[in-house]
Amino acid sequence: MNKAALPIFARLQALQTSAKVVQGGARVIAGVSDGNPLAALLCEVNETVLGRTLAFESSEGLGLTLEVSGRRVLRVVAAKGLPDAELCLAAEALEDEHKDSLIKLLQGVAVTGQELRVWALPMTRDVDGVSVGLPVALIADLLLVDLNPHALGAPITPAITPRPSGARAAVRTGEAAPPSNPFTERPVTELPRLSARLGVTAQPKLQVGDPAPADAPDTGLANLPADAHFLRSFAGAIGPDLMAWLIVGGQADGQTDGPEEMVSHLQGFLEDEAEALSAQLDQVTTTAGTPVCMVLGASLVEGHSILCARKGPGVLLGVIEGDATQTVLRAWISALRG
Amino acid sequence: MAISDSLGALIKSYPQARLIAFADLSSSMILASHGRDDVTQEYLDRLCQQARTSFDDPLFSLSVEAFGEPHAALIMGDDGLRLFLRSETEPADALCCICDHSIDLPGFVAKIRETLDKISAGA
Repeated sequence: MNKAALPIFARLQALQTSAKVVQGGARVIAGVSDGNPLAALLCEVNETVLGRTLAFESSEGLGLTLEVSGRRVLRVVAAKGLPDAELCLAAEALEDEHKDSLIKLLQGVAVTGQELRVWALPMTRDVDGVSVGLPVALIADLLLVDLNPHALGAPITPAITPRPSGARAAVRTGEAAPPSNPFTERPVTELPRLSARLGVTAQPKLQVGDPAPADAPDTGLANLPADAHFLRSFAGAIGPDLMAWLIVGGQADGQTDGPEEMVSHLQGFLEDEAEALSAQLDQVTTTAGTPVCMVLGASLVEGHSILCARKGPGVLLGVIEGDATQTVLRAWISALRG
Repeated sequence: MAISDSLGALIKSYPQARLIAFADLSSSMILASHGRDDVTQEYLDRLCQQARTSFDDPLFSLSVEAFGEPHAALIMGDDGLRLFLRSETEPADALCCICDHSIDLPGFVAKIRETLDKISAGA
């Protein structure tokens, strides 16, 4: 199944869940045997796009009332029987500094072994927009809670010791750019080792005299199989704008071009980051197993850009100089058409 | 001009653009979107996550080492391309685009950059 479809199936499955309504109009979102009422609470917030006041109450009588909109907790309206609620209650709009206090309140009202109910009420005030408050995805991330727990029947992840809030990955801003001398500091190693680090297999190269594919063009690439041909022809179609590159994995494993020190740097990067790079490409690939190419640059239209393409077992990593838009796109389409 | 109007104008100028969305990368939220196809919230969430992933390690660090902080990412697949541009002044602001292969990419990138700069400047 396409991974992109998982949240959709999770949502559809959640909508089919029968609701248990108790006296007073509350819905029970976690029973006494539920292993993780905190996850149920966060999922309830995550389901709330339009502005609502959600009043949560445990069977022990503890209560927490939140204003929620756009999958964000905007404000804490009331707390009943929960200690240290003053900081959040005093905030007109929750901000990053309130997240630890809010987490304690959420953990206080959503306790394992107690029934957790919710009342969904209209908002008591207008909100300026959805750009205020704390996103539930952030809270869930800090608590290691999966907001799509029903995906493929997976159980809700038990709440464990929250991750320190400062450890959450943020969008990188480049502040930690090392004062390095790029393309000169990494050690040079034998290329074929990279394919093993990438989890791909370097297949034996064809020998002279091996039959070429019947539809292969009469070029120097004629005796390469499809995947190798794809990446090699892609690199070739970009032309001199691709100033340094190498291919790892597949039958084109070890092919390179460009200044040796730049290729060595790319090679060293793959040595260090093979698994992480593979995961990054997986996450931006819409359909598993299909070719993908990622270009990252200051602007794409000038200066330099990093290019990374993958098809089958082969990975191409290179540096582009100048406009990386039209040339690369044309080359990509050409390679796709074979 | 409102954000949604700006996005609508882009779609009108570039019919090969299937979807353009304005995202807050720090909170992983699509705040406005415009396109010719109806898409679900989950689809938009996924698109925003891909934008975040594009500007993250390990390729982010390689780019920083090589030439500085990247503000543009292009992802090409077999069924189209995705373009993510981050604001240079407001790093959390980004435009996420899904386009056909036939789009005039240099012109589109320039137009998207101009629109993003205006949005981030509040113009």
